Amino acid sequence: MDGTPHQVQGPPRWHGGVAHTADVGVRATAPDPRGLLEEAAAALAELSADVSHAKRLRSEAIEVRADDLAALTFAWLNELVGLADAGGEALVEARVEHLESTPDGWLARGTAGFAVYDADVRPRLQVKAATFHRLKVTREGDGWALEAYLDV
Amino acid sequence: MIAPAAERHLALERIDVFRWRIPRSTQAGMRVDGLIFADDVLIEPLRGDPCLNQVANVATLPGIIGNSLGMPDLHWGYGFPIGGVAAFAVDEGVISPGGIGFDINCGVRLLRSDLEIADIKRAADQLADALFRAVPSGVGAHTGRRLDRVELDDVLRQGAAWPVAAGHGTADDLLVTEEGGCLDGADPSQLSERARLRGANQLGTLGSGNHFLEVQVVDRLLDPPTAAVLGLHAGQITVMIHCGSRGLGHQVCTDHVAVMDRAVHRYAITIPDRQLACVPLGSPEAHAYLGAMAAAANFAWANRQLITDAVRRTFASVFGPHHALPLVYDVSHNMAKFERHHVDGREVDLCVHRKGATRAFPAGHPGVPDAYREIGQPVLIPGDMGRSSIVGVGLPGAMAETFGSTCHGAGRTMSRHAALRQLRGVNLVDELRRDGIVVRVDRRGLLAEEASVAYKDVEAVVQVAAGAGHVRPVARLRPVVVVKG
Repeated sequence: MDGTPHQVQGPPRWHGGVAHTADVGVRATAPDPRGLLEEAAAALAELSADVSHAKRLRSEAIEVRADDLAALTFAWLNELVGLADAGGEALVEARVEHLESTPDGWLARGTAGFAVYDADVRPRLQVKAATFHRLKVTREGDGWALEAYLDV
Repeated sequence: MIAPAAERHLALERIDVFRWRIPRSTQAGMRVDGLIFADDVLIEPLRGDPCLNQVANVATLPGIIGNSLGMPDLHWGYGFPIGGVAAFAVDEGVISPGGIGFDINCGVRLLRSDLEIADIKRAADQLADALFRAVPSGVGAHTGRRLDRVELDDVLRQGAAWPVAAGHGTADDLLVTEEGGCLDGADPSQLSERARLRGANQLGTLGSGNHFLEVQVVDRLLDPPTAAVLGLHAGQITVMIHCGSRGLGHQVCTDHVAVMDRAVHRYAITIPDRQLACVPLGSPEAHAYLGAMAAAANFAWANRQLITDAVRRTFASVFGPHHALPLVYDVSHNMAKFERHHVDGREVDLCVHRKGATRAFPAGHPGVPDAYREIGQPVLIPGDMGRSSIVGVGLPGAMAETFGSTCHGAGRTMSRHAALRQLRGVNLVDELRRDGIVVRVDRRGLLAEEASVAYKDVEAVVQVAAGAGHVRPVARLRPVVVVKG
């Protein structure tokens, strides 16, 4: 999809929570899969910390590959969880700069911004991992929808 | 192959007061029945809950033996339910990282002291502050010291023995830790660099969520003679530590679920939920995961051992150096173990998956430490921070029907969001203090998420485990100081 203009039609970019007894579910919609991954990252960031006042960001390049879009979402979210935990930092945002479907599967490249926990960046939930449980990436109307559950 | 089972309200057949069956005819692909342990009260909120579908889904996995089991603290997880137990034949069965969980060897240990409740009451705030400083907790918690590669490899191979050798514990600690605090077969080479990076500065940290450090008082003896063998008496102060393998274990599970997600097609295994990704025991992928899982389990034991050392040092600083805190027992919640069990009149070697479930071997079992061989393996069942926890011992009934397993806690009844909504405006710190419980927490919102209202009553849960003949309750512990991330 890289090199093609962003689709402007379709559902608005949105994310929110889905109830789960022990863990946390997230749902996102976007006009295209690229936006969907970014919305999922935004949901993860909001769950993990209050980053609304984050000032200094450390940026890191990300590349994930997977056989299908659901597995790509699993890989994408877990890459963000892993990088944040390894650095002891909060995920603030993530951007997908390149997304393509190849005969071998899907590839996503992007960047993520992380901030050190301090008075401006307060932790919320420790997300251990994204799971495959009920993980769905589907076409919805003229756009895309995603549902994922995170182990917390 | 993924063949999602339509999630629908599953009918339960009542077997007796404590047992409910999900017949294998309920859902296509079920190889065995589901067996849930619950009474009339505990079963009601489970009707229509996704956790029953998860019990049924686990029953479809190749090589499953006996029943797909739901302990009395059963609730909705991911892939496997929490409070789920499943055993697989070593020759025809599978290993599923989702059946162990992301927090590999999450577990609980209990220390006993020679202090009484009167000693603690005068110093509860001082002790709470000191423990909160001594044990890093919360999101992003780290020790400030990053283990080098050789040190981390040693931890992954040696488990709790590594900190003990460095003076952070005693040889006696290892004798009363499940598996001696070290699972055989650990293979550090099966860990990714990301797993190493996540774990290198997290050894000795509590973490967040439902993990905790509690100072408790023994407020009721339910079986005094057995309590005496465990060194417990009424009014005595104990310390309970609940945590796991931190980011290192989480990454091990993530990495190997991804591997098995791709491999499951190659082995022509059909699963109803992608999180149940699994491979045959004996396959290269299983070998790799089991080596990594054992390494992560050993990391968790070393983690709890270092926290134990920090607790002991803290008690010495507050109460003086002459108060030993011997370890009563350390039990695992999230693990796959190779064990021998009696099935249909013969002994068979099985791979027992326990996810949010505790081993509960009875008296006389060689897996029970010598000190407890005559009473059975201690079973530590934490409740919520406002009520109580239970110490019990395993019974023969557990070996007969749950592969020597029982509940691991109270079990959640509502989501974190629902608990937050219900307790909006409530000052839980003050409420708990009125009940004689001093709390230190990294994040106040966590208190509402983990409040009593979000959990089943652990005594009701244990009553079912006891009624089913799996565990004998020995003592009830009430929190006095709670430290949470």
